[in-house]
Formats: sequence, structure tokens, C-alpha cells
Amino acid sequence: MSLITAIIIGLGMGVVFGFLLEKSRVFEPGIIVGQMQFRSFIMLKVFLTAVATGAVVLAALNGFGIVKLHPKAALYAADAIGGLLLGVGIVLAGACPGTTLAQIGVGYRDAIFTLLGGLFGAVAYSYLQPSLAGTIFAAGDGKILFTGLFGIPYWLGALGLAAVLAVVLLALEAWRPWRSEIGPNADGDLGAPAAAGERATRPLPAE
Amino acid sequence: MISLRDKAWSPYVAGVLIGLLQIPAFLLIETALGASSSYVTVGGLVASWVDPAIANIDYVARHIAATGKNWWQVAFVGSVAIGAFISAKFSGTLRRGISPIWARALGTASPGVRYAVAFVAGFLMLFGARIADGCTSGHGLSGVAQLAVGSTVAVAAMFAGGIGAGVLLLRRI
Repeated sequence: MSLITAIIIGLGMGVVFGFLLEKSRVFEPGIIVGQMQFRSFIMLKVFLTAVATGAVVLAALNGFGIVKLHPKAALYAADAIGGLLLGVGIVLAGACPGTTLAQIGVGYRDAIFTLLGGLFGAVAYSYLQPSLAGTIFAAGDGKILFTGLFGIPYWLGALGLAAVLAVVLLALEAWRPWRSEIGPNADGDLGAPAAAGERATRPLPAE
Repeated sequence: MISLRDKAWSPYVAGVLIGLLQIPAFLLIETALGASSSYVTVGGLVASWVDPAIANIDYVARHIAATGKNWWQVAFVGSVAIGAFISAKFSGTLRRGISPIWARALGTASPGVRYAVAFVAGFLMLFGARIADGCTSGHGLSGVAQLAVGSTVAVAAMFAGGIGAGVLLLRRI
């Protein structure tokens, strides 16, 4: 496939992804911070639904031999330490690396600084990366899957995961209906008074 | 019935549609959905204009190479902004300034403080994602769906870091 074709496919998929991130509200800082503070569960609902769907899709595509899987290698120390830093960054940014662009698209000004910080962070890591070879950050078990550990076919494990997630999601929705978690301005700010028009900004409550 | 003008879609409808994006990713690009590598591609390329030596680092050279996968992801992540803009335009949810939650979470309404926190947060986010070799998309959406052991560790750590910092460093929103 030519570079141009790949870029055009990326553009199309990205527009769809951005549209869905906006419609799901999962790109809102109030939804991300709200999830990490257990005030709302929209982020978990979107995330687990997308994981379950991906698992069913890949169970079919891989099970019928149409595609190969592309898992990342298990690098336990790197996954744990990198994941922790990533999580701290996510809650302070109120965004993930992908949803930062959705925030920029709708007009959140601080997201431009998140993006710049992200680019600097990626470059800083790039300078450091050669010196991590041979350290604990490069140590791991390769591209292992839970289904491999249990000795069952991937498609079976993936369908099992999707079934478990479906039950979890049904329970989550029964406990916290999603419509109650969006907020009057659709930004996950559950205490906000309803505002007219497109403005997100409004007088701030006294602290 | 869902409409393009709705401010919010059910997280389950949106989640299913996001999950279906794995189909074109695996079939057409032969990769899983991901986002954070593109920061190395763009950041590394821009940095190489200032410091050409960075392109000698194999990690950077691999990410800025003119391959379909590298630039597919840059296009994918970049055009998220376009898709979100279109959706918000339809539903009248375009934003100005910063989210009102930040004044409460940070304890100050100062945009300067928020911009500084956002920059540091972005730095931590991508520095962490590159150490872990993936983010919420690559490890989260794709890795967990593939039942990858390392991705599951990364996602658990991500939520641990997010919950810890959300409780300890931010005020309750």
C-alpha cells in the first residue's frame, strides 16, 4: 500500500474516531477526571464497550484466519512504570494522547499545551531510549497472550472476555445510568447549572 | 433514535463503533489502533530540524521513516480534531477557554496555572506512554482486546496512576 493511501485511510478513520470521541463525551476533562475520582463511569463504559467489540471483531477475523494479531511485548517494569506515569498525566491533562486532539478540535485552549507537552515528552523519551537497552525497562516475556498461558485458542478467550465485559457493563448501567453522568452542559460537570448556547465557560463557583 | 445533532450518544453505541474501527486497522493497515507513536513521529521529525543528530537514534529513525504505518497513525490522530469539531458543530457543543471543572480541580481559575499543568501533564503522558510502548488506545483498546499480558499490566498501572493522582493531586470536582 502506498504512503498516500495509508494517510488517506488514516484521515478517514481519524475523523470517525474524533466524531465518536466527541459524541461519547469521553474526551471531556470532566469525564476523565470524574472517572478517576469515581464520580462518573462514562470513560469505563466507552472503554470497556470498545474493548469488548474489538475482542469480538478480532475473534472472528483471527479465528477465521483473515488477520494476524499485533500484540505488544510484555515488558513488565516498563508497562508498570510507564503506565503509572501515563495515568498521572491522563488525569492532570484530563485527556489521553488521542483525546487531546479531540479537545483541540472542539476549542479547549489548554489542550494545545497538553499537545506541546506530549511532543516534548515523546522527544525526551527518544533521547533516553538508547540508554534503556539492557536495563529492566527492556526486560520481559515477549508477545504473550493470556490465551497462550491458558492453552486455549485466542478466539475462545476473546469471546469469553467480551461476555464477561458485557455482564460488567450491564451491571454498571443498572447501577449508574449513563444519562445521569453527562451533566447539563454535556461536559461531565455534574454540579453545573444548565447554560444556554455553546458556551462552556461560565462564572465559576466560589471555592 | 440517535441523531448527529445529539450532544451525547450512549457510551455503548459510541463504544461499539469505536471498537469496529479495529476492522479497517487490522485489514487495511495491518496494525492495531494506537495513538502515542505518532507523537514520536511528529516530535522526532520537528526535533530533527533543530538537532539533526536525533535522526541517528534508531528508535527515532524507525518512527519518522516514510512508512504507511507511521504516517497512517499521524493522519489518524491528527484528524481526530476534525471529527470532534464536526460533531461539536452539529450538536452546538463547541467550547471556548478551558473546562469549568479545572477551577475546582486545581483550586484556582487562573488559565496560566492550567496551561502549565496541561503542559506538564502532556509531557508525563507521552513520556510514560513511550516507556510503556503504548497508551489508552494501543495498550487499552487494542492490547486488552487481544488479551496481551503486558497491555493488561499497563492498563492496570494507568488506572492506578490516574486514580492516585486524581485523588491526591486534584481536588474533588
